[in-house]
Amino acid sequence: MKSGIKAGLIVLAAGSGNRFGHTTNKVWLPLSGRRIISRSITNASKNFKHGRVVLVIHPGDEELARKTLEREVRGIDVEIVFGGLTRHESEYNALMYLAPAIRAGELEVVLIHDGARPLATPALFTEIAESALRHGGAIPTIAVDAYEMETLQKDKVVRVQTPQGFHAKDLLEAYIKAASDGFTGTDTAACMEKYFPEVKTVAISANVSNVKITYPQDLAIAEHVLAQRGYKD
Amino acid sequence: MSNEVLEAELNCAHCRTETTHELVYAGRLLVSTTCSICHTRVEHESNDLWDNYLKDLPHRIATKPLRLWKRFWRGPKSLLWNLPRSTFSKPFKMLKEYRNLKKED
Repeated sequence: MKSGIKAGLIVLAAGSGNRFGHTTNKVWLPLSGRRIISRSITNASKNFKHGRVVLVIHPGDEELARKTLEREVRGIDVEIVFGGLTRHESEYNALMYLAPAIRAGELEVVLIHDGARPLATPALFTEIAESALRHGGAIPTIAVDAYEMETLQKDKVVRVQTPQGFHAKDLLEAYIKAASDGFTGTDTAACMEKYFPEVKTVAISANVSNVKITYPQDLAIAEHVLAQRGYKD
Repeated sequence: MSNEVLEAELNCAHCRTETTHELVYAGRLLVSTTCSICHTRVEHESNDLWDNYLKDLPHRIATKPLRLWKRFWRGPKSLLWNLPRSTFSKPFKMLKEYRNLKKED
């Protein structure tokens, strides 16, 4: 069943990866017949009746993005925004684009997602949106085994994934404050933590299969997971 | 996206930098990736590749009519213009996929 939450869904794909005129950003690579970014967008928007989908790209990728959307993401209204030099700038640009809708109360929560995570399921997006609406913020996490780390930690350590969701108005305000202070966060949660430390951000237990395509091996893992899922989601 | 050789920026686990990698596909499956700096090559186990390829093939065949239908709606003229050539070249494409997979043996 589709969620009735009014959600802004920002999918980040602004990494340039341009070498010698070839577009080589990994989000445009095929993964079992469809591009990585197409899978990310489809999964992000699938469970929302009132979602607005914003794709943040490098200006040099505009033509490719439009062709890909037309070919692989039909039936979803995707709005394109140009990103900045950093992830933080790209998030800011997307939030500024959505600012009129956020201020008008047309969006309750905003979810920000890495385009290079094509295996985040529609159910995860819904869970993050619902928890963000209820608590203020929600992020997907997986526990890290103490032996994975270089120094043994007594505290519980988690690895954070995306999508990360927050109340739309708080998130917009945090990024406006960050822009005036010149603060650049490593991710969405870092910026919220700095400007709204009182906002409760809940950790949602996520799945290790929500892999971010970073290493060549990740592509093979993603292909395998998709085959296991019958090429759905 | 058959038999394509593509390039993308990926992190190399060997030289620990983000570099251009060459990616070879057979059909919809990734066959291998090679780092352009240290030439470290990551490839699927050939048995896995064959298994995956054979598992993927029925899915490709089953979804072909729908994909053709979608292409027809996007651009009927372009589809009709290209269909004879792509139909004729399909066996050669499949042969090339087979060769790409055999290379990994």
